[in-house]
Amino acid sequence: MPDFECRLKKYRQLKELTQEQLAQQVGVRRETIMRLEKAQYNPSLKLAVDISRAVEAPIEEIFLFP
Amino acid sequence: MKKLNEKITVILAVVVVALLAAASWYSVTFNDRRLVDPMDFSAYEFRVQDLPMIVSIALFVLYVLYLGVLVVRAIIANKLRAEGSKTTRKLNPKLGLLGFAGFLGFSGFWTYSAFHAVSPFVFFAFFGFFGFFYEGRMSNTFMDERYEENRARAELTAHRTAISITFLSLLLLNLNAGALLGSLEYTLIALTILISLAIALDMFLSEYLLYRYDCADQTDGGGED
Repeated sequence: MPDFECRLKKYRQLKELTQEQLAQQVGVRRETIMRLEKAQYNPSLKLAVDISRAVEAPIEEIFLFP
Repeated sequence: MKKLNEKITVILAVVVVALLAAASWYSVTFNDRRLVDPMDFSAYEFRVQDLPMIVSIALFVLYVLYLGVLVVRAIIANKLRAEGSKTTRKLNPKLGLLGFAGFLGFSGFWTYSAFHAVSPFVFFAFFGFFGFFYEGRMSNTFMDERYEENRARAELTAHRTAISITFLSLLLLNLNAGALLGSLEYTLIALTILISLAIALDMFLSEYLLYRYDCADQTDGGGED
């Protein structure tokens, strides 16, 4: 289980995006976004960058590693 | 068009089987069971009465070849589609029932006692087709990076399990100079069965674990917020 905090849900809701819309924008399944928001999946650097661009927030504010 | 082709294939099968049954009945009733019972073909002489049986057997062989062509075409089409898309192949979960073909492996005990043939034991590998049930449930799934990661993890676990079983089998069966079970023939049979089952487990586990890794999170109440 990845050991990090994920604030994706907060930034996604700020951008008024549904999980499905965000998933389509970054080219993954909705289930992957769901897992990311629960910090149950450690994304690749590319996916993290894509998400960061989609929600217009810095990576280090979305994914918090101890 | 696809439905029409399926109907034609089924109708052809019915016609071919009906012709074969009719020709067999004719041969049994009016032609001394020729070409129905096993014959010595080195001393075969053609008779006009053999024609129904010859024609029906030829049609049957042609139909089997036609089925073979259909299967090859379907496999190629599926591969081409898979290369051009990012989704898993479409598969009916009911194909998992093909796993029951694994029980054909038990026919090896009969063939060994009757003809000393051990090759039918490899049919135990067909138990792996039970994995089609899980592959079918993951049919047409978009293959994102998490899917690829889960697939690699599932395949790695399955391969490691199968290789461990194979290695342990080899180790155990090689005790006492390969005659652990009394004779080298029995050792060969045991090895054939164990390797076939290891292959079946590999095929099944790859699909089952992928399904479990990929879908476990979807059942833990994760919805849209």
